[in-house]
Amino acid sequence: MANFPITEPVLLILLSLAERPRHGYAILQDTREMSDGRVQLSTGTLYGALSRLLENGWIDRHETDDSSRGKQSYRLTAAGRRNLQAEVNRLKKLAHVAGLRVARKET
Amino acid sequence: MLRLYRSLLALYPPPYRCEYGNEMLAVLAQLELSTCQAKPGARFWMRAREVSGLLAGALTEHTRVIAGFPAASVSLSRRSRMRAEFRFPKATPILMTVILVAVIMAIEKAKSISASLPPSSTPIPPLQPEHFSTVTTFLEILALALSAAVVGWLAVFALRRSGLQRLSDVPSANASRKS
Repeated sequence: MANFPITEPVLLILLSLAERPRHGYAILQDTREMSDGRVQLSTGTLYGALSRLLENGWIDRHETDDSSRGKQSYRLTAAGRRNLQAEVNRLKKLAHVAGLRVARKET
Repeated sequence: MLRLYRSLLALYPPPYRCEYGNEMLAVLAQLELSTCQAKPGARFWMRAREVSGLLAGALTEHTRVIAGFPAASVSLSRRSRMRAEFRFPKATPILMTVILVAVIMAIEKAKSISASLPPSSTPIPPLQPEHFSTVTTFLEILALALSAAVVGWLAVFALRRSGLQRLSDVPSANASRKS
């Protein structure tokens, strides 16, 4: 299971790469869109997270035509997808419990 | 503005800069391009976010280097993927366990030998103050501590030279592609 803390920025990066391989700028745009502009990652934060994800084998580099122009793409690995799925399941359970607790009336 | 970003990227540890520097600069250039039509306020906040992000990132990466984490994950080859464990091979715990067992066995053996010997009729007299001077003892302890520190530093230096230092010389994927 995860040996890497899944913070909200990391979760958004993983979700962005779950769809298809993306390069740095595209990840920044996608994470901002996904969070309705609430999360705006800086380049320093993005690459800090990407380097940890690479170290942990959750993502790898994806060679494209743009790679030679300084636009390196990244894609989710099988391990990364597994961990992301586990995190999504955890969040689903949490959201379910949260919904029940909020709906419960005080007696 | 790109000059400022470039100088901030120079604050990162060299291996990290070598691996991600060009990519980060390309992203920053794209961000600058995309916000050139934006309002001055939005552009200011974007730049403030990027500058603080780069400063925080540089600090984090240096902290990781000091803490013993690899400065960057160079994914060129199997050799390049070596981590901090390289400096302390997996055989180290086994070797330490063997040494510990040997020390425990030596202590037990010494105890059994001393128990088998007949009690001495002439007890060892206690040490008198005239047997040693405070200054001499202090100097001896200081010399011993300094020697231990030098030996320790040499060992750490040798380990770093053998592993991590060489890793930083491995060209990154981007660098090797460009060359």
